Order: sequence, then C-alpha cells, then structure tokens
Amino acid sequence: GDNGSVVRPSTDLIAYKNVNDLPPPRGELMIQIDQKNEAILLPIYGSMVPFHISAVKTVNNQSDTNHNSYVRIIFNFPGTPFSLPEANTLKHQGSIYVKEVSFRSKDSRHINEVVAQIKTLRRLVAARESERAERAT
Amino acid sequence: MAEGQLFNNIFLGGRRGTNPGQLKVHSGGILWKKQGGGKAVEVDKDVILGISWMKVPRTNQLGVRTRDGLYYKFIGFRDQDVVLLTSFFRTNCGITPEEKQLSVSGHNWGEVDFNGNMLTFMVGSKQAFELSLSDVSQTQMQGKNDVLLEFHVDDTTGANEKDSLMDISFHIPNSNTQFVGDENHP
Repeated sequence: GDNGSVVRPSTDLIAYKNVNDLPPPRGELMIQIDQKNEAILLPIYGSMVPFHISAVKTVNNQSDTNHNSYVRIIFNFPGTPFSLPEANTLKHQGSIYVKEVSFRSKDSRHINEVVAQIKTLRRLVAARESERAERAT
Repeated sequence: MAEGQLFNNIFLGGRRGTNPGQLKVHSGGILWKKQGGGKAVEVDKDVILGISWMKVPRTNQLGVRTRDGLYYKFIGFRDQDVVLLTSFFRTNCGITPEEKQLSVSGHNWGEVDFNGNMLTFMVGSKQAFELSLSDVSQTQMQGKNDVLLEFHVDDTTGANEKDSLMDISFHIPNSNTQFVGDENHP
C-alpha cells in the first residue's frame, strides 16, 4: 500500500520508494549491490530487479572447469527459520515467494565481490534490525 | 506518421539482456533494427494485441504483446515520445496503451500472473519482473510447494549481459489458493 491507507510497520523494509531512485542503468547488465539503499539488483530479462537485502537468506558461489562462475541467492520464505524480524509469514499469507535464483557469469572476480558484498551488507542490516527489535521490546 | 517516425537508442530487452537499436513506428506497424545490423523485430499492426507503458529508471518502456503470444519490450522512450506514440497507437491501431507500474520495493513476496507466454511477478499491484516461459527448458516441482524454472543455456551472446539468469524458483505456501488443482501452472 503506497496509497497511505495502510500504516507501514517500521520493520517492513523497502529498497526504493520511487522508480528513479534506482541506480542509473549501466552499459553492461550485471548483479549490483546498492549499499546506500540496502538493495541488490539482479538482471532479469534485460531489467535490473531490486531486492531488499533483508529478503536474502543466503548467498553462495561456485565455479566449473569452463571458467564459469555461478552464484545462488536464496531468499527468505515461510517455513524457513527467519533471521530478521520483518520476515513475518503471517503478514504475507497467500503470497508467492521468489525462493531462489542462480546466475552464471564469466567473471569470477566480479562474482566473488558480489558474494562478499551481499554477505557484509546482510550482516550489517541484520545486526541493526535485531538491535532495533530488542530496543522495541 | 504515414512514412514513419524513428526513435534512436531504443533497447530491445529480453532473456539475454538488452540490445541497442532503432525503432521505427509506421502505418503498418513497428520495426526495430539492431544497431550495426543483425537482429530485427517486425510487428505488423494487425498482430498487435496489446500495448503497455511503464516508467523504468530514467526512461520509459514500451511493451508490445502479439496475437501469437509473443511479447517484446523496448526501453528508452522519452516522456514526449510516450505521448506521441500513445496517440499514434490509438488512432492507427485502435489500441489504448495500458499503463503499468514497476515495483521497486525489493520485496520477494507477491503474486504470479500469466499472460500468453509471459510470467509476471507482481508485488502489490505493481510489476516486479517478467520472464518468458518459452525460454524455460525445464520445470520441476520440488516437494509440494516449490517450483523451479530452468532456462536454456545459450552462449550466443551479443547482448550486454554479464551475469545470466540460469534458474529461478518460487515457493507457493499452502495458504496460497491461486494455483490449487491447476496442473498446467506452477
């Protein structure tokens, strides 16, 4: 509800308020981390699709013998132990969840950076949110 | 606009990123040509089923849906192009473009819509992303609640995409009633 009819709980994290808040398009589409807005942007069908870092559960990477790197991002969804207070299953009952995505890349250095950045950002936001939740109780 | 109007720097978006090109709108329909030659997309006005506009970061995106189930997205229209083309599609094709909104909240929960070959993930009433089921090589049920879509591995690049989507899976909780008893849908 962006129409103001619903009061958004402070714990309901959103990545961007407006379309033009997203980082400007780059020449090459690749996974991007937006530290400032606590978001990851994934290239899906020629568009950069944002996900708030709090939606991310885990990320890992691997490579094969053909110099391909793979990154797998697993999101929070009901039925998994949530680490963030905002990931409340009852709130979104009936919803369908994006559970997992995987990407292939020729650039292993870039993939390593992406994984490290996602892990760091996730840790920072999780620590801050659990602190906030503790203070609230 | 009988002899056509040209729009430069229009990107065709799809499975493997985006390609820059030139889009021509003329009385017979739409013609997009890749910059430097190669790929071209021609859509006759009689096969256009629906037109949509969406504001995307810094620009506008035109969606063209055809009667044979194809869907094209063209990115890079200025606001004044939108006005011009909207009236063109109305008068020339008898189609009133639909306005779609892009979800940028970053939520991973929402709804899944199907339209022809397109799967759209909606957050609230806004579109978060879309994919074409015609690029899906395999669909797998994982347990009772998860559906995995695997995409064709395609090495014929040329598109400006560094990281390519290999698969995506959706979790459909028991509380979801949209797809109960429908085996044709995930």
